[in-house]
Amino acid sequence: MDSILECRSLVKYFPGCLALNSVNLTVPKGRIVGLLGPNGSGKSTLIKLANGLLTPNAGQILVGGMAPGVETKKIVSYLPERTYLNDWMSVQTMIDYFGDFYENFNKSKAYDMLQRLHINPGDRLKTMSKGTKEKVQLILVMSREAQLYILDEPIGGVDPAARDYILDTIIGNYSENATVLISTHLITDVEKVLDDVIFINMGNIVLTSTVDDIREKEGKSVDSLFREVFKC
Amino acid sequence: MLGKLLKYEFKATARTFLPIYGLILVLAIINKLFWNQSIDNFEIPRMISMSVYIMLIVAAFVITLVVTIQRFNKNLLGDEGYLSFTLPVKAHYHIDSKMIVTLIWSALSIIVSAVSVFIMVVNPEVLTQFSRMCADLAEVYRQYGLSAHLIAIEIIILIILGFLSNIVEIYAAIVVGNLAGRHKLLAGIGAYLGFGIVEQIVTSLLFSGFNRQIEEYFQSFHYSNNLFPAEPAEVALLVMILYTAVFGVAFYFFTNWMLTRKLNLE
Repeated sequence: MDSILECRSLVKYFPGCLALNSVNLTVPKGRIVGLLGPNGSGKSTLIKLANGLLTPNAGQILVGGMAPGVETKKIVSYLPERTYLNDWMSVQTMIDYFGDFYENFNKSKAYDMLQRLHINPGDRLKTMSKGTKEKVQLILVMSREAQLYILDEPIGGVDPAARDYILDTIIGNYSENATVLISTHLITDVEKVLDDVIFINMGNIVLTSTVDDIREKEGKSVDSLFREVFKC
Repeated sequence: MLGKLLKYEFKATARTFLPIYGLILVLAIINKLFWNQSIDNFEIPRMISMSVYIMLIVAAFVITLVVTIQRFNKNLLGDEGYLSFTLPVKAHYHIDSKMIVTLIWSALSIIVSAVSVFIMVVNPEVLTQFSRMCADLAEVYRQYGLSAHLIAIEIIILIILGFLSNIVEIYAAIVVGNLAGRHKLLAGIGAYLGFGIVEQIVTSLLFSGFNRQIEEYFQSFHYSNNLFPAEPAEVALLVMILYTAVFGVAFYFFTNWMLTRKLNLE
């Protein structure tokens, strides 16, 4: 099976804290994968490493067989857990910005989604609520025809009504060969869209499995298995 | 890709600078009108428009510095950094684009200030003086021939390099300050002062080390006739260019290395 993301004995530590403890991991192409773990488990560190925002202390992380760099950034569409939009821009300028820098950005798709969520492209980001900004950001990220979408807490800040729309957007907007990696702790909300899950805790991969296997072998939902594994 | 980064960097900063430039020029014209009319009891409006003008000039330079720091800090090391550093662009292009745009705004601030002064003081008498000065300068230029061109080019290079080197020194200090968990601003200022001290020490060590050679070199020329020899000036400028370049390049590579290897966004 072809992999899009691969970690080989990946180690990352910060002063006084081991964030990733020799992680080995393979994420195949064409799947929707949940990266699940409690707060501070190493999810965001792993995601930042995949995006080249951090450099590993040891081991390797490969995206499409390449170490993070200009080439991997072309094929990865990343939604961080915070708003990274330039607040002096309007939504329209932001769309031009994405169009200028990412060859695989589909402008008409972006305008289409904005219209459906009743967001005016002329509005300045400065004047928007946090939830609206998150929607704009998700629209920008999902309007790219990328090979790997990395979504860090994509539904954390929006109301439950918008969550369903966002999840539909995520599933509706990725092509067959693309992989979606979703990090979250709102498991019940995303469970229905996931193919695979990765449980991570204290810098170690605790479990990797398909959602079907969990349901068949364990006879449980991902949410209840998560609660069992990470019981406090 | 550098072109695209430059485009958005200009867009992001122009909305701060252009209004100030516009106001400076408008105030210069108002000043000119106010001071040229001999109307009684016009002292207070004159004083007000002049002080507003001076404040605007000061503001233009303070803002150039503030925007330099703020753009780097916010766009690369703040939340916006998550987008900037996931663009398919090499990290040094971010430094390049910000450095070039800052250089251009600095130059424009100086040009706009000069033009505004010119607007206020210009009259036939000043113009004749100005053209006489230009003629004198052209005469000196002619006497020195090729050397004058060389010195002029060297001075321009030195000024540009000096600006660029100062800008990357600020960037390097910001990046170092960002390593501190708390009090990043304070740590950044500390780093900047630290760089300054290191530069001072290196400079004084070099000067005291080569003191004798420098003296001998300058004494080897004969300052007999009223035309100064051009060579010592050319050589001194060249040394200063190299000296500035060495520090500038060091700060540039340091900043780039920190951004690519030691980046740690909040």
